[in-house]
Formats: sequence, C-alpha cells, structure tokens
Amino acid sequence: MDAALIARQGAVSPVPSSTFSTATTLKASTSSFSFPSPTSYPPFYTLQPNLTTRAKQLTYWSQLVVSYAQYHRLFKLSLSTPPPGLFNSPTLPRSLSPSDIRLLLDWMSEPANGSKIEWIPAASRITNSETCWVYWKSLGEWADELYAWVVEETGQKGAVLTVYELREGEQTKRCAWYGMDEDLLKKVLQVLVKRGKVQIFGQDEEAGVKFF
Amino acid sequence: MFLRHLDLTTALRPHLYDDETLLFVQDGVGLYEGKEKIPNYQNGHAYLTSHRVCYVDNNEPRKYSVAVDLKEIDRPEFYAGFLKSSAKITLFPKATKRWSVAIRSPVPKYASPSDGLLNATTTPPRSSPATPAPSSQVNATWICPICGLSNRVPPNFDPATANQHTPLPPCQACGVKPPLTTLSKAAIAAISNRPSASESSNLTSSSPATINPPIAGLCPRCTFQNHPSLNTCEVCGASLQQPSTPIERRFPSLAAAPARPESPGPTSTKTIIDDDTIETIKLSFRAGGERHFLERLRGALIQRKWLLQSAPPIPRPTGASSSPTNAQNNSGLNSPVEPTNRSNTPARTTVGIAGLEQRGAELRQNNQVVIGSAFEDLEALMTSAKEVIAMAEQFRKSSSGAGANTDGMSTEAQALLSDSASALGLATTKDMLGTGSAAENLYVTELSRNLAEFLTDDRRGVLRREGGIMSLVDLWAVFNRLRNGVELISPLDFEKAAVMWDTLHLPIRLRRFKSGLLVVQERSRTDEKTVASLLSWLRDGAHGRLEHLAGQGPPEFGRGVTAQEAAERFGWSLGVATEELEMAEEVGALCRDQSIDGVQFWENHFISTFDNADTRLGMTANLGASKV
Repeated sequence: MDAALIARQGAVSPVPSSTFSTATTLKASTSSFSFPSPTSYPPFYTLQPNLTTRAKQLTYWSQLVVSYAQYHRLFKLSLSTPPPGLFNSPTLPRSLSPSDIRLLLDWMSEPANGSKIEWIPAASRITNSETCWVYWKSLGEWADELYAWVVEETGQKGAVLTVYELREGEQTKRCAWYGMDEDLLKKVLQVLVKRGKVQIFGQDEEAGVKFF
Repeated sequence: MFLRHLDLTTALRPHLYDDETLLFVQDGVGLYEGKEKIPNYQNGHAYLTSHRVCYVDNNEPRKYSVAVDLKEIDRPEFYAGFLKSSAKITLFPKATKRWSVAIRSPVPKYASPSDGLLNATTTPPRSSPATPAPSSQVNATWICPICGLSNRVPPNFDPATANQHTPLPPCQACGVKPPLTTLSKAAIAAISNRPSASESSNLTSSSPATINPPIAGLCPRCTFQNHPSLNTCEVCGASLQQPSTPIERRFPSLAAAPARPESPGPTSTKTIIDDDTIETIKLSFRAGGERHFLERLRGALIQRKWLLQSAPPIPRPTGASSSPTNAQNNSGLNSPVEPTNRSNTPARTTVGIAGLEQRGAELRQNNQVVIGSAFEDLEALMTSAKEVIAMAEQFRKSSSGAGANTDGMSTEAQALLSDSASALGLATTKDMLGTGSAAENLYVTELSRNLAEFLTDDRRGVLRREGGIMSLVDLWAVFNRLRNGVELISPLDFEKAAVMWDTLHLPIRLRRFKSGLLVVQERSRTDEKTVASLLSWLRDGAHGRLEHLAGQGPPEFGRGVTAQEAAERFGWSLGVATEELEMAEEVGALCRDQSIDGVQFWENHFISTFDNADTRLGMTANLGASKV
C-alpha cells in the first residue's frame, strides 16, 4: 500500500510552475498529500492537558506541519490565512483551534524542538506576529544545497548571479528552493556570507550574488 | 471464667449478636488475670455491650481479642487506683459457673429481628429461668488417636462453628492435640444421640418433683451407678453432669469443691482463651473512663438483657373479651405462642370468608393495642421494642407488596426506610463515651470504624450500588439518613473519621481527586485496576459502537466515551466518572477529544501506537514524494 502511495504521489509531480503563495493551487494539490494516521484520531485536534501526552502530540503535529509544507513547497505560514487542510482533519469534523495553532508554532520555534519555524517579526511591537517561516530544511541545509548547486553542479564559481535568477531562473526550476520567498533566500545567502563563501552587491531584485 | 475468642467485624469491632447493643467503649485498657498482667493484652479497647465485656487489642486485634459473657459475671469490684497504679475493675465469676458448663454464647446471626422472635417461640417460658439447654454435650467424648484415652469434648466446642482457629484441648494423658475432625465427629455423634437425653433433662428441669437420686449417679456411658457426690464415673471416667442445678442445691459443699474434671488438662498452654481456670479478670483503665464503665456495667448486670433473648414478650394488657383470641393474634405477629394458652382456649371454628374477615379484624385490633401501648410512654416503647420492630417489618412488607403498582416511591428509598429499623443498633454515639480529653478522639475512631462497617456490610452493599466508589458527601447523607434523625454526625467529625481509615488500617480508603473531591473506595480498588477496566472497555470496539460514533475515526483507535457514558457503564456518579477519567488521563492512559459535542475520552495512542513503523513510513512517503 505504501508503494502504491508513493507511486501515486510520484505521478503528481512535476509541481505547477506558478508560485505557491496563492491558495488556489494549494487546494488543488491537497488531495494528493497523504495525511498520517494521527489525523484520523479525534484527540489529535485537542491540545492534551497531560504534559507527557502533549509533548508527543506536538511532536506529531510538528512532523505533520513540516511534511505538509515540504510536500506543498510552503516556505511561509500565515496564521490569518492558514493553509486549508493542514489544521483540519481530512476525515473528521475536527480542527485545531487558532490559539492552539499559535501554541503549536511557538512550541516548534523553540530550539529544543528543532526550530522548525521562525516567527517573522510583526510590523509593530504591540501585535503578535502572524506569519512565520517554515524550515522544512534548516537555513544551514539550504545554504549547503545552494552552494553545492552553484559551485559543483553548474560550475559557476566566481560568477555573479542575481537573486531573481536563483529564485525563478530557468536553471533552478528543478531545484528545491525554486520559488522560495526572496526574504528567505536572502537569509540563506546571509548564512553563506557569514561563512565567507558569498558576496552580495546591490539591493533587492537587482542584487547580485558572487560565489567563491 | 471463660475468656472467649471474639469475632470481629471488618472494622475490628466486636461482632454484636442479635439484640446485643453497645453500651460503652473505652480506650487504653489492659487485662489482668488475678494479679498478673496477661501478656499481649495490655493495650486495647474495652467494649461493654449488653451481653459481654469485650477486649479488642490495638495492635493485633484479630489475634488478641477476647470477651467475657456478662451472664458469667457475678459482680464487679472497683479499685480506684493509687499513685502510678491505674484504676481497675475486677470481674468475679459466678460460683455456679463451674457446674453449668455447657452454656454457649449464642451464635451471631445476621437476621432481621423477626427471626429472633421466631426462635423465641421454641424456648421454654420464662417461669423456668434455667440457662438454655445445659448438659447438651455432656456425653461427647473423643478418642485420642495417639494413646486411645477417651477425653471429653469441651463444652464450648461447637462443631458448627469450629474451624482450624478454634483452640482445641490436648489429650489429658499424652498431651497431644487432636485433629479437628476427630473432635467434630465426636461432637456431632453426641448431638445426634442427644434427643433422648435432652428430653429427660428437660423433664427434670421443668418438674423438680420428678428428680430422683438413682438418676443422679448413673453413668451415661457405661451405666455404672456411681455415688451421687462423684462427678466423674468411677469406671469409665465419663463426667456425670446431668444433675446440674438440683444437685448443687442439694450438696452446696460441692459447689465450693476445687475439683474441675472438665478443665483441659495441661494448663501450660499459654492461651487464655476458654481457660476456665481463670479466677478473676481485671480491667485496668489507663486512660480513664472507669467510672462510666463501672456504672454501665452494673446497669447491664441488673438489666440482664441476655435473658431477654430467649424470653417471651412482655405480657400485654388485654381486654377480658379479647383474651381468648389473643393466641391467634400472636401467631399473626410472629410472636411466641404459649402452648398452654392455646390448648386451654376452645378454638373458634369460623370458616370461609367470615373467618378470614374476623382474623383480619382481630389482627388490626391487636396491632392497635400494641401500637397504642408502645407509644404511651418511653418506658413502654423500650420494653416492647421487639414487637414494634416486628410490626414495622410487617408493614414494610405489605407496603412494598402494594407499592409495586400504586406507590411512586422508588425501591431504593423503600430499602433505605426498611434498613433504618435494623440500623438502630448501629451507631456509636457520643453518649457511649466518657468525658475527658481522649473521649473526642475515641469518638472519632469509633465513628470511623462504624463507617467502615457500614460500607463493607454486604447486606447493604452501599459501595457496590455506587460502583465501588462514592463521594464523601453522598456517604454522609446516606449515613445520617440511616440514623433516623437522631445523633446526626457533624460534617467535621465525619471528615475526621474518614481520614482515620488509613491510620486504623481499615479496608476502606479516602481518596482525594485532583479537583479536591473526596471519595470513598475500597482499599483493594486501585487506580491501576480502574484504568485497566476503562481501557478494556474502550478497546471493546464492537460493543456499544453507536451510529453517531460511526465514522468518527477508524476502528483501530477504539472509541471515545463521555463521562456520562462511563458513569452509566460503571455505575458511578457523574462527578466520580469525570474524576476517574481525568485520573486516567493524568497517568497517560487516556486522552481527550474536545469538540462541540463535549469532551470525549479516547485511549491514548500518542504514546505507543503512532510510534510504530507504519506511521513513520507515512510521514517519509510524503517527504520522498515532494522531492521528485
């Protein structure tokens, strides 16, 4: 049965070329995501008062969120418009309440729990942040992958690439970070800058990136 | 004087006989035999009942608890104490005691008071105050399997109640204790041979004129004609107990004779139970209370309640016209009928419906008389308590029979009402305890034992009806209700008493739930058992899987239950069910599912089930798929 699932999912790709920020495309691909078994277990959608149980529950939720985001190539999660299907059970009339979602994301953001997300600071200090990055790969992993692709696979060491090229260029279409948010990509590049492997010139879309 | 082994209730209090009432309880009591302290009997409770003085040890109550029947006590003597010597009460046995050996304490029975009345019908009228059925087992002998000597079965040995804990007398020759079966067989054989003997003894006791000396010395075993002053047969050694009371009267010197042929031979055995060599028993009151005890002991000795057990009811005032029919009325009331009365009256032979109607009318008239006289004053009520209770019982039966179709009263309430009559003798009241600083504490411990008895009483099944667990408040209400509005327990005392269960090692425990709810539970019921039963219920998917639950999750997760369902399933109250479910959640066995329908509890699959390989595969399958 697992083999069949994988085969079915394989048939879906390649993913649509448009960006994943719009909800409509997400909805279309929701059906193909195979939800893990906890999603058909009603207590999964109620935050457990027992702390041991809750820790387990949050672990499963964290796994679900990460695999969901990875499957749908979701880099950013918004609380105001959460991806449909993620926090609702596919089979039960149950869903995780918004306050519990926030609690879950807070939990995921802690380093002890793997820092699977990071809150994007809100515009003002008074309101809570509504959006977060979902790190289905950590920033370090992204940096490694990006550097390996530029330097080893395409042999562009020393060349200067634009950020736009990296995000949406023809060559990067088959790469995992294709369509990544610009801000997130910049964070990844910052990691490389710190490692001394990249230099960034200019601003915004026109910014150029030189790999060493 | 016999110190008898004492049957204890689950709450480690003396088992009271029918009609026996508790008069006084005192803590910190030690026992002396003569002038010597009796080892192991130095710290306990003294219970004074209408029939007995009981000692219940504080440390080893099951092992070291004894009782002395009041009927064997001649008089108490008081010693006020001096300096470090505490006050003591000495109990002197009756001198005649040595001769009327076969007095056995009545077997404790659980029966309604009406049963006691039924039994009373078979006993002789009060005019002959002879102790019931002496000489019943005089001829019972057992053959020692070691040396072959025929020993006498001790008079207090009762094959019906004997078990391996019953102290057995050793053989008089070789000192080896016989097996229990040997003794039982001998006793049963003697009983089966008895009818003729008891008949003759009845004859002698009821009509003193027929006593003739030849019988007095005749050995019942070998028929050797002994001298009347002997009390054992010269030839075979059998004891000649038959001529008990009359002989004593005739030969007063015998009563003082030190010979005690029936005493178990070697007294070296340390047990003091059933040892009739004990001359006097002294109770030492180290924690005070001796004056109250003495006062009530004297009262009890004067009242002689134990005689009432076999006594006919108080003759009731009856009009001259109704006297001939009185006997018939009595039979309707389950009360004793004096045979002479019936034989003297010409039986009225009215038959048919008229006869039935007449009987009914007579019955009603009689009831009226009894009730009328009973409530005339308190004294009368107390003397005719037996009858009134019997009548109440009868009324209850008739009302429950009729109430099945007409009365809206729930059966439970009726049961409570009917229980209340038998609960009359239950309570320890503050009145029974002395005054002083320790009295309050003693009251609480006694109340605590009372409660434990009440809860473990199988007749009531209070806990069982509530699914083995009930809240303390419910218990308080039920318990106070049973006290009929008399001597109610204050909530404060009640809680104190409940807390004492643990320290007294009683089979009931008080449990505090997380929310602070206090519940009462049997000690044997632990959380693990509760959780196990909950889980097995939840896993039992086929049973009770209702339509509205269908489709809620695949069957491999079992099913979710609400507190309401759990309450129905286990017979708990709703609050208890909620607490039990939350307790199970607390230990990680269950988890909750909160939805619009309310909170449902499921078996916790977070910990175990989702860890298996299947789930992981499901997760990684997604990861793998997206990479392509």
